[in-house]
Amino acid sequence: MLAALRNATTEVWDHRDLLEQLALRDIKLRYKQAAMGFMWAVFMPCLIVLSGLIIRYAMARIAGQTLVASDVANIAVKGVGWAFFVGALGFATASLVGNSSLVTKIYFPREVLPLSAVAAQSFDTTIGLGTLLVLLPFLGVRAHMSLLWVPALLALLVVFTTAASLFLSCANLFYRDVKYIVQIVLMFGIFFTPVFFEPSMLGTRGAHLAMLNPMTGILEGLRITIVAGQDLSRPITTLVHGVETPMWEPWELVYSAVWAIGGLLGATAMFRRLQPLFAEFI
Amino acid sequence: MTDTSVQIESLWKKFRRGERHDSIRDLVPAAFKRMLHGPPAGHDLRDDDFWALQDISFSVGRGEAVGIIGHNGAGKSTLLKILTRLLQPTRGSYSTSGRIGALIEVTAGFHQDLTGRENVFLNGAIIGMRKAEIARRFDAIVEFSGIGEFIDTPVKRYSSGMNARLGFSIAAHLDPEILIVDEVLSVGDYTFQGKCVQWMQDTLRNGTTVIFVSHNMDAVLSLCNRALLLNHGKVLAEGRTVDVIGEYYRGGAGYFVELRPDVFARTIAFSSTHDETNVVDAGERVTYTHTVVADRDCEISPGLQIRRENRAVVRSSYARMRGEPLRLAKGESTTLDWSLFYNFPAGAYTVSYFIEDAKGGYHDFMNGARIVIVGDDPKVKSECYVGMSLVQESERTLSGGGALKLIGRR
Repeated sequence: MLAALRNATTEVWDHRDLLEQLALRDIKLRYKQAAMGFMWAVFMPCLIVLSGLIIRYAMARIAGQTLVASDVANIAVKGVGWAFFVGALGFATASLVGNSSLVTKIYFPREVLPLSAVAAQSFDTTIGLGTLLVLLPFLGVRAHMSLLWVPALLALLVVFTTAASLFLSCANLFYRDVKYIVQIVLMFGIFFTPVFFEPSMLGTRGAHLAMLNPMTGILEGLRITIVAGQDLSRPITTLVHGVETPMWEPWELVYSAVWAIGGLLGATAMFRRLQPLFAEFI
Repeated sequence: MTDTSVQIESLWKKFRRGERHDSIRDLVPAAFKRMLHGPPAGHDLRDDDFWALQDISFSVGRGEAVGIIGHNGAGKSTLLKILTRLLQPTRGSYSTSGRIGALIEVTAGFHQDLTGRENVFLNGAIIGMRKAEIARRFDAIVEFSGIGEFIDTPVKRYSSGMNARLGFSIAAHLDPEILIVDEVLSVGDYTFQGKCVQWMQDTLRNGTTVIFVSHNMDAVLSLCNRALLLNHGKVLAEGRTVDVIGEYYRGGAGYFVELRPDVFARTIAFSSTHDETNVVDAGERVTYTHTVVADRDCEISPGLQIRRENRAVVRSSYARMRGEPLRLAKGESTTLDWSLFYNFPAGAYTVSYFIEDAKGGYHDFMNGARIVIVGDDPKVKSECYVGMSLVQESERTLSGGGALKLIGRR
């Protein structure tokens, strides 16, 4: 698997200009002849945050509480992360089949197609993050030492998304209904991933179950380090109705990293193995 | 350092006919079926498999130009796709040395919404150029394509000719060591085609190895010194281009004439004074002898037709020459001698014989009875006068077809 990753890396590196051109193409196409222009980059996170706020407002009302600024910040941070994941996977899954005229006619390492989809989405997300950077101080977020965790968490997010992109683009080439399955899973995935809520709201067992989702460690990690300003190296608990409930477990980080790195190794190995068949089966 | 650019050894490629399971919904029942009936036998040819390539071996030397010809579906494209790493051979091996450039569907990487400039960079990267390389050659690419001021217009506003010209220009500036060309020299207008051919010849002179696939026999003839004829996935002939093209036409390539339902005249013999070789010197004279027999009393008109790339160059028949059809009694046979003056430009020609009735229906049509490759003779090239030879007054009734002359009837 390591050999596959090494081969893929060398070949993709040799074609880095192609990767750049393809990502540039995707970005240009997203903004050319588009009514929203650069608003696109923040449109999806905005929608996610708005729907999260409605749900949280309803929850707070029933519990007889009110929404606070940090609730908005929580959802916004995780919303941007989730929007990246969903957006990248959506584009990447279709990237091989959508470029079938290239896949059947010209040789280049096929990894660059899903990778360029992830890269193009990264561009959008960078705009989203920039917007977030401006807004967060108004929501009461202050800089902490814990922000040092953020680059590592973002790297995990990108690696995990890349792994899933490689796997799904390849699967969609052989089985065309993968695209629809991905669409549905991503549509409802937001309810299985702590974006609108925190694992601790589900009680001790519920929290541990929610932590089995590899995205939980990444998104919650971002929230805890950015908004709550707490360190990830030790367990964090919170009081829910007087019961001490887990909010963060350090193993989540390791767990997510195993998924991301293991996934990348596995997906690359699979992609490399099947790549010679692409032109024939597409 | 070896002087072989491409080496192919015993290459086999299997394809599957019919539909595959391409959704998970179909896969699940199929997987159950396999569990019940056991897996399909390993590498053997199943009912719905076929060999697109069978045991192909050949090598191309550095700087050599090799033509690959054959009917549609003969396996040419499959072979090219293997060489360009798009497909994996089922068996066998191949090796290439040096950067491969392919002139195949040169606009495949274009995106219609991007401008010409953006597409030059995108497509250049797709075919394997570095960004700096493209930037350096950008002006040359635009210059060659003749797109000029439209380079900043989205390519969706281009005509198809402009599209193809830009695509070709990008690919032409890749500067590969091995160039694979599949039927693209016919893009653009007459001027651009001339430019392409000129470019190809320059490329060859620079020592680039070229593998050239085309149905244009004249192009193959003029560019390649060696050729390979594929037929149903097998190498049917390999050798000097003229000989291989001859073999290709003998297979009855690309010309089909429907005979009338009630045939009552047949050819029983056909020969020529030049049967031992295909190659004719420009300006040489060849006599063709055609023997026909009638199955009942009839009026027919036997004749010859010389074609180049499916276009008739010379065509003549008995009725045309004599002003009246040939009358034969039942069972009678006769022999006609035709003299053909090969004052033709260099190229591949097919000689076909036929027996016509008065209304243009055919009793017999033998496509490509002889293949003639007219050699390149600079003396003749400039003074070819096919179809306008001056015939003596006394021979006026025999003068219909220009260079083709009916000598007599035996």
